[in-house]
Parts: sequence; structure tokens; C-alpha cells
Amino acid sequence: MTLPVAALALRRLLLVPLVLLAASAVVFGLPRLLGGNVTRSVIRSRSLASAPDPAAEARLAAELGLDRPLRDQYLAWLAGALRGDLGRSFTTRAPVAPQVLGAAGVSATLAVLALAVALAVGLPAGVSAADRPGRVADRAVDRVGSVALAVPEFVIGPALVLVLAVWAGWLPALGWGTADRAVLPVLTLALFPAALAARLVRAETRVALAHPSTVTAVAKGLSRRRVLAVHVLPRSLTAVLAEAGPFLAGTLGGAVVVEVVFDVPGLGRTLAEAIGSRDLPTIQAGVVVVLGVAMLLTLAAELASRALDPRLR
Amino acid sequence: MRVVGLFALVVLGVPAWPAEATDFANRLDPPSGRHLLGTDQLGRDVLARVLGGIRWTVGLGLVAVVASLVVGLVVGLGTGWLDGTRARVVATLVQSVVDLVVALPALLVGLLVAAVLGPGVVPAVIALAVMGWAPFARLAHRLTVAARAEDWVLAARSLGAGPVWILRVHVLPAIAGPVREAFTARFVGAVLTLAGLSFLGLGVQPPTPEWGAMLAEGRTYAFVAPWLVVAPAAAVVLVSGLMSSARRPRRRPWPAAWARPRRSRGSSTRSRG
Amino acid sequence: MRALAPVVLVLALLLSACGGGAPSADGDGTVAVALQFPPRAGYAFDADDGGLLTKLGVAEPLVALDPQGNAVPGLATSWTQDGTSWRFTLRDGVTFHDGARLDANAVVTALTHVLGRPAPPRAITDIGLQVAAEGPMTVRATTTVPDPVLPLRLSSGATSILSPAAYGTGQQPSPVNTATGPLRMTEIRGSEGATLMRFDGYRGERARAARVDVRYVIDPQTRELALRAGDVGFAEGLPETSRAGLAADPSVTFSEFPSARTILLQLNQSAPPFADVRVRKAVTAALDRNVLANQVLGGSALPASDLFGPAVPYGSTQAPPPADVPGAQALLAQAGHGPQNPLRVRLWTFPNRPELPVLAQAIASQLQAAGVATDITIGEYDAQEPEVLAGRYDMFLNSRSYLSDYPDAASTLTSDYTSGGSYAIDGYRSPAFDALVGQLGTVTDTAARARIYRQAAGMLVTDAVGVPIVHPRNTAAEKGVTGFVPDPLDLRPVLPVLAPAG
Repeated sequence: MTLPVAALALRRLLLVPLVLLAASAVVFGLPRLLGGNVTRSVIRSRSLASAPDPAAEARLAAELGLDRPLRDQYLAWLAGALRGDLGRSFTTRAPVAPQVLGAAGVSATLAVLALAVALAVGLPAGVSAADRPGRVADRAVDRVGSVALAVPEFVIGPALVLVLAVWAGWLPALGWGTADRAVLPVLTLALFPAALAARLVRAETRVALAHPSTVTAVAKGLSRRRVLAVHVLPRSLTAVLAEAGPFLAGTLGGAVVVEVVFDVPGLGRTLAEAIGSRDLPTIQAGVVVVLGVAMLLTLAAELASRALDPRLR
Repeated sequence: MRVVGLFALVVLGVPAWPAEATDFANRLDPPSGRHLLGTDQLGRDVLARVLGGIRWTVGLGLVAVVASLVVGLVVGLGTGWLDGTRARVVATLVQSVVDLVVALPALLVGLLVAAVLGPGVVPAVIALAVMGWAPFARLAHRLTVAARAEDWVLAARSLGAGPVWILRVHVLPAIAGPVREAFTARFVGAVLTLAGLSFLGLGVQPPTPEWGAMLAEGRTYAFVAPWLVVAPAAAVVLVSGLMSSARRPRRRPWPAAWARPRRSRGSSTRSRG
Repeated sequence: MRALAPVVLVLALLLSACGGGAPSADGDGTVAVALQFPPRAGYAFDADDGGLLTKLGVAEPLVALDPQGNAVPGLATSWTQDGTSWRFTLRDGVTFHDGARLDANAVVTALTHVLGRPAPPRAITDIGLQVAAEGPMTVRATTTVPDPVLPLRLSSGATSILSPAAYGTGQQPSPVNTATGPLRMTEIRGSEGATLMRFDGYRGERARAARVDVRYVIDPQTRELALRAGDVGFAEGLPETSRAGLAADPSVTFSEFPSARTILLQLNQSAPPFADVRVRKAVTAALDRNVLANQVLGGSALPASDLFGPAVPYGSTQAPPPADVPGAQALLAQAGHGPQNPLRVRLWTFPNRPELPVLAQAIASQLQAAGVATDITIGEYDAQEPEVLAGRYDMFLNSRSYLSDYPDAASTLTSDYTSGGSYAIDGYRSPAFDALVGQLGTVTDTAARARIYRQAAGMLVTDAVGVPIVHPRNTAAEKGVTGFVPDPLDLRPVLPVLAPAG
């Protein structure tokens, strides 16, 4: 517990490549467990109506290196990956690393913006709801929150487009790359984490309000606002920060619905398409990226918790 | 407890509803006296399908999320409580696995489970649990680490209390609030994931009604027949509301020293129990 | 929401700083379109992307198609057959977008490249096609056996010709600035979109828009919303439920037209119960395809009476018979299935085309009325295909195009219905049918081929080989754009004729 933050960060950073190496076998092996005939899937994904053709599949397997022993394939892939070469896509024959990194950049932007919006809404709402039970904020966290949690993105997204883009004409309906295009996907994606953050913060704030340190602070005569901000809020963020990492990691490779509905060229869509067409190099590269980023995010969230919460220092 | 009530609901979601009877001539009819919640794309009564879907959605979703919760709590409490270098290495490794599981695309996991276990309802629940335990583990781990540092836990330890007792009496109650909120949210998430899994051959197959699948199928019709989406979504909201009916503080939680005149109003706006 | 406003603003600024690459505002003569199928393989010709490039009006093959699907001059102006050998005379004065001249060597380079791929395009595979330059503007193409439809095969977008500069780079040939069509591709944005500019050096009718911004949008609802919000002026493949609204919208020009596709209920003839033709006929009789098309699919598809629909001249335009439930029950009783021994079958389908799960449930419901119980499984196509091809299934609801990359149905009939065909899911084995389809190998005359197609489709109906359920219809909508010409074959250029309105 007394470990200095910098030392902890360094130690965990050094761990990232090791864990990634250990996970590489998983990353390489999992898509191959999907079963089915990979070359047939690849041919079909390139040419939808094609009938099965064993000869063509054998030629393709040779071109893609799929006819070699699994161990050789893995070692070749690992050697390439260590040099930063994650191979070429089975379907487009283009190098996957730039494609996956570009898509990951888009998804990361989307995820971070959504989280920022969610926290900006969820934290004040949660604290205020716990501070005044039964009042507007508390009821809003219950009711609006329920709707935000339960209505799926594929309903909220098009509804927002219909209102804000088609009827009002304020925003473009789809796309990515400019600020106005980002608003609707970010809002759609932020809804669920905002509701969850508000509820988690409310639950923790209730405990923190009754904590002896709060009593002390109140007794010292500090202002209500100051007690909330300095003494209560830091104790109310443990759960939110614990959930933030998984949210970002999950959104990085899993915001398929939002990316499809708003036509955002993100990693979730790229991965989903690659999984559908058994484009193994793209799946592998995508999972490696998602995994590496997930570990860094977890570390960042942990460092943030330690910096904020006196109990973790 | 509410969970018991939920299970009662599952049982009550009697199979007697004509949830599968089609009437193509009356498809996408708006709510009316004959069909209180309208009809769907095959002319089936939406109310009957919502009721018929209770046992599937609540049953499968609940089983999956409870399984996730149990695994996640055990892992999280364990790794959060243990101290010492070796324990910390274990905790770090476990958290790395959590990172992996959290980051894996659900589609990949679903397809893998379908490929290994074949289609069906049980594999669907397993797929949900495989994906679901990790966030709980992360949450429980963090909360446990925080709770462990509290004075009363230190006091209990110095008084010689055993770890199980401390976890049960001091730590679990302290972390219960956030975990309960996460549980509710994850249940809702599980319902939607269930819909996605059913497209991979995992879970309930049509025409059996299931809310997640109803939402997914209704998506295409959301603008012309909003009731197809509103009805199952409202059902999910109702059930999750039942779950999260957490014990509300009866009074304002501020220390008594801060009691201000507003208190009288505060007592009149008490939350629903 | 007050807390949100500043955040959004800050984020917006951040984003606009790092953003960029967005299509510029509409200038003069720009058309923005939302297409439904993105390039699958980075515009590779050994994929469906060749057809896409033709549709975009970017790349052109040797042979073009008229609206009826007949071969007409394209990059080649004439052709003659001599047994296994065809001679194509190339058009004079064709320049590629990069300025190079079209000649026989360019054609040979392009076709040799695509023929050398591990899985060559369907149109030209399995015929032993070889090409050689015979003169500066003459190309000779030979096949192992005489091929009556080689010109049609060479109308496939997969056989488009790019400038020699596109080949020999060691990379996949790129269509950017290397093709011959009325629109010149200037930029590829992955599978998100592409920018096309009018090619001023085009020999024929010029593209009507100076610039076309192509977006590939895979979600139908998103395409519709993008059109209604004005993000694009043309969209294809619109949601079934929006058709009425779009047709009624005065600012939108809505088109609906047949497609060369059939949704089929395939029945496994290689095992009981569907080895018995009476059971297959019972299923056919129990289904009301008019109801399935007009009610269940809301009129977004036409009821199918046989394999071929109104997209082709030899397609059937007759409505299928209504359901005959007593007849179905009688047939089932003859086959030994009655109340005492009810028939219970599995029905498999996949969700990639959203109408399939809906239809599967409706079919199960109609079969139930005739006393057939159905267990539906919706799963992944890739997992189902090996099973259905091996004959380990009962019923499979499939969606199948009966033309492949070129307007001729022979290859689909051969692969899907002849004995031992590579996609013979039904397991149909009929020497008479095999002989009939075998005739297509020598018949050149279009009308004679059409007669054989009609006859083949009739045999499939007589023998109750699966049940053709519906022919889905294609849709397209324009808003602020004019000129769209529907193409039921889905093989001809679409974008060059689009123009901004007014």
C-alpha cells in the first residue's frame, strides 16, 4: 500500500507487454476455435454468391499460409507482431495494422468523449441525488436512469437522428470526422454509462455522507459545497472508476451498434465484420490493440483512484 | 426479498398466453381494445408476447447475471482482501484476465461458445456469464480494497476477527449499494446481449417470445410501430425497477450537526420504500 | 442538461482540431449517394467489388449490357466465335483515367491477372479461359470447350480492364485514376466511401454530375435517415417499413423494382421426410406465398411462382396459387403423416437478411395450419452451410441470386440443381434435368436459352424441388437528385446518370 504511485505505474507498465505476450496465444488461438472452414468463409465474404470450390479453397489456403502447421503459423505471426507487422487482411489483402489502429483511434475518441459526457452528467446527478433523497435529482436518477439503462442504443440512436437531424436539421445524420458529426453518436453512447455512473455515485455517496470524516468536516464548519467536493466525492468514485476501465475497453471494440447506426468507421464494426468473414489477421490485430489499451486504461483508472481516494493511498 | 418476487414473476409468466398465434392480416396494428399493446410484424399480440416472455427473459437474464455476480464477487472479494506480495501477484494476474475478458468483443465470445457448445439455451447463459463476471470482479475488487482501509475494518482485524467474518459483516454491507446498482444495470445489458446471441443460434429461438429478441426484431419497425419497441423496453424497465428497489435512507443522510430548517420538508419527501 | 453544454462545446472544439477529411460542402454539380454494399476486398476484381466498380461507373469490362441484359459493345466493339476461340476487336481511342491508351496488351494484362487469382471470379472460372493479344487492337480468348456465352461472361464487372500501370506493382491493382468509365475514382476512404470525379475524356455520354461522393452505409435505416436529413441525395436499399412514407413524400422520388433474387425454402430430398415428393408437394400446398409477400413482408417482395422472377425476360410473372390446406393434409396423409403420426421438421435460416427470420416464423405458422410442426433455428450461415450441403437438415430458408456476375442463369442452375452440383443443397437428382441444363453448353441463341430456362424452372416446380417463396424487390430514393434508372439485373452503371436537381 505504501508503494509510490510512480513505481507502481512503472511496474505495471512493464507488465503490459508480458501479459500481452501471454495473451497472444489466446488472441491467436481463439478465432481459430470458431470452427468452420476459414478459406470458404473468406471466399464467401469476398464474393457472396460463390459456390464452394475445394480447389480454389486449397489455393487460397496456400496463399494465406493456412496450410502450414498451426505452430508455424503462430510463430510467424508472433515474429511479425513483435516487429510491428500484424499481417495482411485475408479479405482486403491490405496490411491490418494501419487499418486497425485508425479504427481504434476513432473508437477511442468516441469512447473517451462518451465517458466524459457520462461523468459530467452522472457525477453531479449522483451526488445531488444522495444528498437530497426523494428530491428531483434522486427521482430523475431512478426514472430517467431506468429508461436510459433499458432502451437500447439501436432505438435511441435513430430516434435522436430523427429529431435532431431530420426534423430540426441541426446536425448531420451520419458520419464521423467533424465535431457536429460526433455529437449524436457520443450522446447515444453516453446514455448508459451516465445512468450507471449516477446510480453508482449515489450509492457510494450515501455511505460517504455518513462516514466519520464527513461528520468531522461538518463539525469543523466547512461549507456544504466544500464538504461534498473535498470529503464526500473522492470516497464516492471507487465504483465509477472501477467501471470506467471496462466501459472504455468494452466500447473500444464493442460499440458495434452505435458505429453501424451512425456509420462511424470504428473498431467495433471492423472487428464484427472481420469475425463474420473469418479475417483472422484483422481479428488478431484488433484484439491485441483492444487488450493492450484495456490494460493501460485499467492502470490509469487505478492510478486515478489512488490519487483521489484517501483510503487507497 | 425482491429476488423471490422476481422468481415468482418468472413462474407467473404462464405459458398459457397465446404468444405465438399469428394473424398476418392484422400486422402492426396499433394498440386498441382488442390488442392492448398492438400487434407485431406477424400480427401477434404484443401484450401476450411481453407476458409470455417474462419467464424467458427474466429467467435467463437473472440466472446469467446472478452467476456472473457470484463468480465476480468471489474473485473480487478474494483478490481485494488478500495481502502480501504473492497475493498481489495473483491479484494482478486475475485483473489481467479481467482486462482480457472485458475487452473481448461479445460477438467473438458468442460465436466461440456456439462453436464449442452448440446452440441452445444453456450455452447462451454460459456465454452471458463468461462475459458478465469480469466487470463484477473488477468492481468488487476495487470496493473491497477501499473498504479494507476503513478504520472499523482495521479495528475488527486488530480484535482478531477472521477474514470471512469481516468480509461478511463489514465489507459486504459497505460495498452492497454500488454492487446492487451494477447488478441492475448488467441485467438490462444481459437482456440486450441475449437478443444478439439469439441471432447466433444461442438462446431462445423464434417464435418463443423473449424481450431482447422482441426489441431487436422491433427495431426495423420502430418508426411505424413504436409499440413493438416500447412494450418490451418498458417491461425491462419495470423488472429492473423491481430489482433496484434498494432500501432508501429514511432520513437525510447528513450528520445531525448539519440539520437545517429544511429538514421538515425533507421528511415529507421521503422516497418510496 | 446545463452541465452538458460546456462539455460538448469543449469536446467539439477538440474534435474539430483533430478532425478533417470530411467531404466538403456541396459545390456545383455534386451528388452524394449512400450505397448499401461496401467494397468487400478493397476493390479486388476477384471479389464482388468488380461488379461494384461497374455500378459506380468507374471501371468497364469488354462487353456492356443493354437494359434487357443483352451483350452490347463496351471496350470491345465486336466479337466473333470460332469453336473454342473468340476474337474481340477493341474500341479505338479509349484512354484510361491516367492517360494511357487501351490496347490488346492492356486487356491481356488485366484479364491474366484476375485469372491467376486463387479464387477467380465465378463468371470466368472453370472454363479454362486464356487470353492472348492477336493484334494491337485484337484479343483472342480461348476456352477448353466451346462456350456459347463468353461475351456475357466478359460483361461481368470482375473482368473490367484497368490501366497497365495498375498491375505489376506487387499490390492489388487500384482503381484510383486507372479505369476507363465516365467517373474517375480519385480517392478511396476504405470501406467508408470514395470520391468520384467526372472523366472529361470519356468517349460516350458524360457523367451528369461533376462529382459524386460515395458513402457505403450498411444499415438501411441509417441510409433512409441520411437521405431524409439531406446528408445524401440518393440512397438504395431502403427499409421495408419506410416505403409508404418515402413514396408519399413529395420531396423524394421513390423507385421500386424487381431484383434477380429468390428467397427459397429448400427441402432436403436426400433424406426423409422430404425424399417423398408428396411431402414436398404438401409443404408447397400449405404455404400461401401471396400472403407471405403481400402481408408478412408488406409488399416489399413479389410472390414467387418459380425460381425466376420478373427481373429477367424469362421470369414468371404469374402469381403462385393460394394455399390449399386440405390438399396439403391429403398429401401428408398419403405419405403416412396424420394426426396419429404428425410431421415435425427443423427449419434453419440465418439473420443476415432481416426478412428471413420473419418469413421463417410465418412459414412455420402456415405449416402448422396443415398439421406440420416446425422447430426454427436461426444461426450463423457459415455454421449452417456445411451441414446443409452434406444433406444434414430438413428445411433451409435461403436467399439466392439466380444470376451471378453476368446476366445468364446457367451457372446457378448447374451449381444449385444438377446432380452433384457444388451448391446442390436440395439434393435434387434428375437425369432429365441434368440433360436439359446440359444443352445450355451449346445453345447461343438468347431466345432458345430463355426457353430452356423456362423449362428448367417448370421441372423444378413439377418435382417440388424446394419452394420458391418470394422475389425481394430493390428500392432506391432520390432527394434533390434526378436521373436514376432502375436496373433489375443490378449489373449496369448507376451513378453516371445521377444529376443534382435544378
